[in-house]
Amino acid sequence: MLVSEAVSRRAEREAGRSRWKAAARFILSEYLVLALCVLYTLVMIPFVPEIATVEVWQNILSDMMPLLIVCLGQTIVLIIAGIDLSVTAIISLASVVGASIMTQSDGYLSGPLAAPAAMAAMLLVGAGIGLLNGLSITRLNMPAFMVTLATTNFFGGSAIWYTTFHSTTTSIYDLPDMFISIGDRDIAGIPIAVVIAVAAALIVHGVLAYTILGRWLYAVGKNPRTAYVSGVPVRTTILSAFILSGMLAALASIVYTARLQTGTPILGERILLDVIGAVVIGGTSLFGGKGKVIWTVFGVLFLVLIDTTLKLLGASLFVIYVIKGSVILAAALLDTLRTRYLGVR
Amino acid sequence: MNTTRRQFTIGALMAAAAGTTPMLVQAQSGKTIAVLFDGLYSEFWVAGMQIIKDEMKKRGYAVLEGISDKDDSKQFEQVRAMIARKVDGIIIVQTDSKAVIPAIRAANRANIPMVHFNRPPAESDAYSVAVVADNQTIAREAVLHSCRTAKQAGGKFKAAILIGNLGDPNAIQRRDGFQEAVSQFSDTIEVVARIPTEWNSDKAFAGLTNALQANPDINFLFTSSDFLIPQITQALKSANKWAPIGDPKHVIFTGFDGFPTAYELMEQKYMDACGVQNLFFETKLAIDAIIQMQEGKKPEKVLLDPGFAITQANMMEKREEMWGYTLLKQKKSG
Repeated sequence: MLVSEAVSRRAEREAGRSRWKAAARFILSEYLVLALCVLYTLVMIPFVPEIATVEVWQNILSDMMPLLIVCLGQTIVLIIAGIDLSVTAIISLASVVGASIMTQSDGYLSGPLAAPAAMAAMLLVGAGIGLLNGLSITRLNMPAFMVTLATTNFFGGSAIWYTTFHSTTTSIYDLPDMFISIGDRDIAGIPIAVVIAVAAALIVHGVLAYTILGRWLYAVGKNPRTAYVSGVPVRTTILSAFILSGMLAALASIVYTARLQTGTPILGERILLDVIGAVVIGGTSLFGGKGKVIWTVFGVLFLVLIDTTLKLLGASLFVIYVIKGSVILAAALLDTLRTRYLGVR
Repeated sequence: MNTTRRQFTIGALMAAAAGTTPMLVQAQSGKTIAVLFDGLYSEFWVAGMQIIKDEMKKRGYAVLEGISDKDDSKQFEQVRAMIARKVDGIIIVQTDSKAVIPAIRAANRANIPMVHFNRPPAESDAYSVAVVADNQTIAREAVLHSCRTAKQAGGKFKAAILIGNLGDPNAIQRRDGFQEAVSQFSDTIEVVARIPTEWNSDKAFAGLTNALQANPDINFLFTSSDFLIPQITQALKSANKWAPIGDPKHVIFTGFDGFPTAYELMEQKYMDACGVQNLFFETKLAIDAIIQMQEGKKPEKVLLDPGFAITQANMMEKREEMWGYTLLKQKKSG
């Protein structure tokens, strides 16, 4: 009797331990956020039945796309243990620069080349600001946080100043149809914005997973000193990360501007927390060396899903901020715990 | 029969869901209006939101509210969410008159009436109704009163204007109304400072403080919105220019909107005149327009609130129409 009791207690303890292990595996799994998305949707159906409709999921997909593009860049920067706060200013400045070139009301260019030239200029703005950020960090040894905060203010202000030369109001309108089509047309039933975002995600995934630059990025994020000793060009890698982040923010600006059919210097001004939040929720580590495109996709999906359900419920802005802030805080806390106690870096 | 913990949990969740569903169905059986503002940055918008919500509820509508925090992109997403929610109408206050056009088009496609409250959209082929105050006329009439006061006082006056966000047509019209009025008194009034505020109180305070340092003889002031009154008061106090009518240091002060604080300042003789938007009338126009559009009618694209100028001369007879005075009276009566 005593022996059988001891055996059954031991079996219970082992079952308990295996349950903990399963829970830990689930928390560490890269599909945790996706599972949470499914669970959250199921829980919300009784409260917001519309969440189960195709129309709402089309909206979610469409709302995800520009945010995902910015988040891809932020993922790259977080992998090298950096941070890019200037993405919002890049979105704003690229928006008004592009609009000023292609607007049909006294734009710099007209005709079929106006839109492609404007988009190229927008990408150049992103690359230029990214280059400036990267050079300040690698050559002047300034912290990424400080540099990108300063460039946010400088280029955010410049966007407003630039607009005053091109419009009597605070935005630039009358953009060509070719450009606007990015925001509201399809290719074989798939919205153009989705095509752009998926292409960007695949390219970034390819860079991270299959190129030498990808390996350098992870190595620099894990330990820049060790990476340097191992022959990784740390400065070039950091510079590349910020240039890529800038260009992806500019690409997002193209989608945002096309969607609103207007170039505005306050575009993207309020999305910084969403950008960093979505990447961290996905599981990319704030401490560097860890991150994947698919995690960012799940993070963006989760954040947009929460946002959409709260909008459908008519929740006040303050409630939305509190809930989103709590989720992002929980994700950051989870990241810290994973890094500190579970040694999964 | 033994029930496991898992079976109990699943059962409890299903029971909760089943219990909640009839309540939700009941809540959704009536008509719903979405009220989407870009922010609640001043008493005007807070009062506007509240008056609309109260009036809609009185008429049997459920109200879903959304605040975009001056994010045009987010507001566009809010509009699409409300379309998916199949609301019966949308009352919107947008940040940018041009960036709202895709949202109007989306509402048009879904056949959902859209009314712009107090802020018109830019010209386009999309159909929506805007309820707006006749900003230019109201500003002109209020400033004209102050110009006449200056003329009567004699001497030369140096004027400053606090201009709103130029993406907002209301701000442009108020600036133009001010300009029309002062240009009739060019022998008396010279505009020495045009201060851009972008509807930001910090920028307004910094801009006015700088203007008063650069031009210490400014003695005529127009604000494009009363929500900047606390910053103006502070800046004038710091410059030792905060004095009531009759005092040689008094700055002839004209407001716009009709806030409760504006009425208090008029009563205390610190403000000479104020352009007033008739918030109650605008709310009625907006709701009536939504209902007419639901009935298939097509109201004019712009519905005008003529508003009025309240001055030291007509204050007692006009104050009952001033929403700020009404709110102040309600507050005082508890």
